[in-house]
Amino acid sequence: MRRVAAIVVVAACLSAVIGFQITREVNAAGNPRVFVPSPRFFEKLAPSFRTTIADAYWLGVVQYYGEHVDGDGRLDSLPAMLDVVTKLSPHFIEPYLFSTFALVDAGEPQMAYDVLERGFKANPRDWRLPFQLGFMAYTYGPKETKARAAAKWFAVAGKLPGSPPFVPRLAANMLARGGEREKAALMWGQIYTQGDKYARAKAVVGLEAILPPGNEARTKALVPLYRTMPRKDFNALVEDLVAGSTP
Amino acid sequence: MTQLYAVALNTFKETIRDRVLGVIVIFALLMIVSSLWLGSISLGQEARMMKDFGLLAVSFFGLIVAVFVGASLLHKEVEKRTVFVILSKPVGRAQFIFAKFLGLAVTLACVLAGMGLFLFFADWIVARSPAPLLVAATALIYLQLLVVVAVTMALSTVTSTILASVLGITVFVAGQLSRSALSLTELGQSAVVKGLAWVVYVAIPNLNAVDIKPAVVGEISPDWALVAAWGGYLAAYTVLALVLASWSFSRKEF
Repeated sequence: MRRVAAIVVVAACLSAVIGFQITREVNAAGNPRVFVPSPRFFEKLAPSFRTTIADAYWLGVVQYYGEHVDGDGRLDSLPAMLDVVTKLSPHFIEPYLFSTFALVDAGEPQMAYDVLERGFKANPRDWRLPFQLGFMAYTYGPKETKARAAAKWFAVAGKLPGSPPFVPRLAANMLARGGEREKAALMWGQIYTQGDKYARAKAVVGLEAILPPGNEARTKALVPLYRTMPRKDFNALVEDLVAGSTP
Repeated sequence: MTQLYAVALNTFKETIRDRVLGVIVIFALLMIVSSLWLGSISLGQEARMMKDFGLLAVSFFGLIVAVFVGASLLHKEVEKRTVFVILSKPVGRAQFIFAKFLGLAVTLACVLAGMGLFLFFADWIVARSPAPLLVAATALIYLQLLVVVAVTMALSTVTSTILASVLGITVFVAGQLSRSALSLTELGQSAVVKGLAWVVYVAIPNLNAVDIKPAVVGEISPDWALVAAWGGYLAAYTVLALVLASWSFSRKEF
């Protein structure tokens, strides 16, 4: 009898505990304003565990962003949280890249740009940071200068190890779009010299788009390339341009 | 030497058989494995999370072993009255303290080696490349914990087990903040505050100096010569703490 009573009590308590828990409405998003101490506080408080704290905040950033971006859309504390992560662990690249999108969602594109710039200062060998800076400059920069600013960053990214081959092409296109035709031509020349067959074809198309019409003007525009490119590559480029312009 | 070896071996056997130790190690391994779950919600940073939180687990659970076993080591001998049997033999009190420390140091080495190797291989699987710095970081955590053990043992000769444990943890925490004490010396306006901060800075073991956790996750590249020098400093600090423990223990009346 005692055993039965014990089993009944355990079963009742268990079903009450589980039942109560699963029937409660889950509050998806917490408070968008959370207290975030300054990075300096953590540096002083736990210098030995600063990267661990940065990692914990990184997990918090991911959760916080996921909770609020599709919910109430408020990301009030995100800048402060990202600041903690990037200042405690300045060589942790992901948070900088993440900030490109997350801080824009938080309505802070300028802050995203500043964070990326700080990231690039701390990690000058990582091509992804200037690449994202170029992306940010083009998307959110002033209309008159955005293409040139983006080109500057893409050119920097293109020179760094590990960058994909399309980055210098992007830089050349941006230069052309920003009205820097001579610089764009020089860049295409460089791409032509260093690139494979595909890159060379792209360089020819790119140059075709920016070279002025008329033989004399074209020849004049090619002079800087003649001065900077190896003779063999320059001759091949001219041949390709002639072949490309022949109907 | 034979007596030292015998007491150390006995201490090792006694501490390694402790069931609590097994539970602590299981918890540590579980925490290392759970960092895999943390990695899954970190946007592709599994290896970094594994390294950072794994080393945190090694530090934390290693500290629990060091402090709680270290604090109870001498008290147990007194409570069980085995200390009288041992000291009636040709074993000096200083020898007894050093042997007890050695025994626990070997136990701690086994515990940390287990946790460190588990972390190393788990990280290898996750990151698909070995990270030898993890082994070095675990070895340096071991060095930090040896200092804590020695200090805790010294404290346990003058206080209760619980108080010695609490103070041992305090020394570990303060040792991580040693540099902050130094910065206090620069901030302080009054000479008294500056002087006190200097005393704290010199008295507290600078455990933070041999910390290479940021290097493990690629934040800095360690200056090995400096780490070795600070390692020597911590070894000397351990010896000092043990000498103090021996002196205090030799004056103790049972």
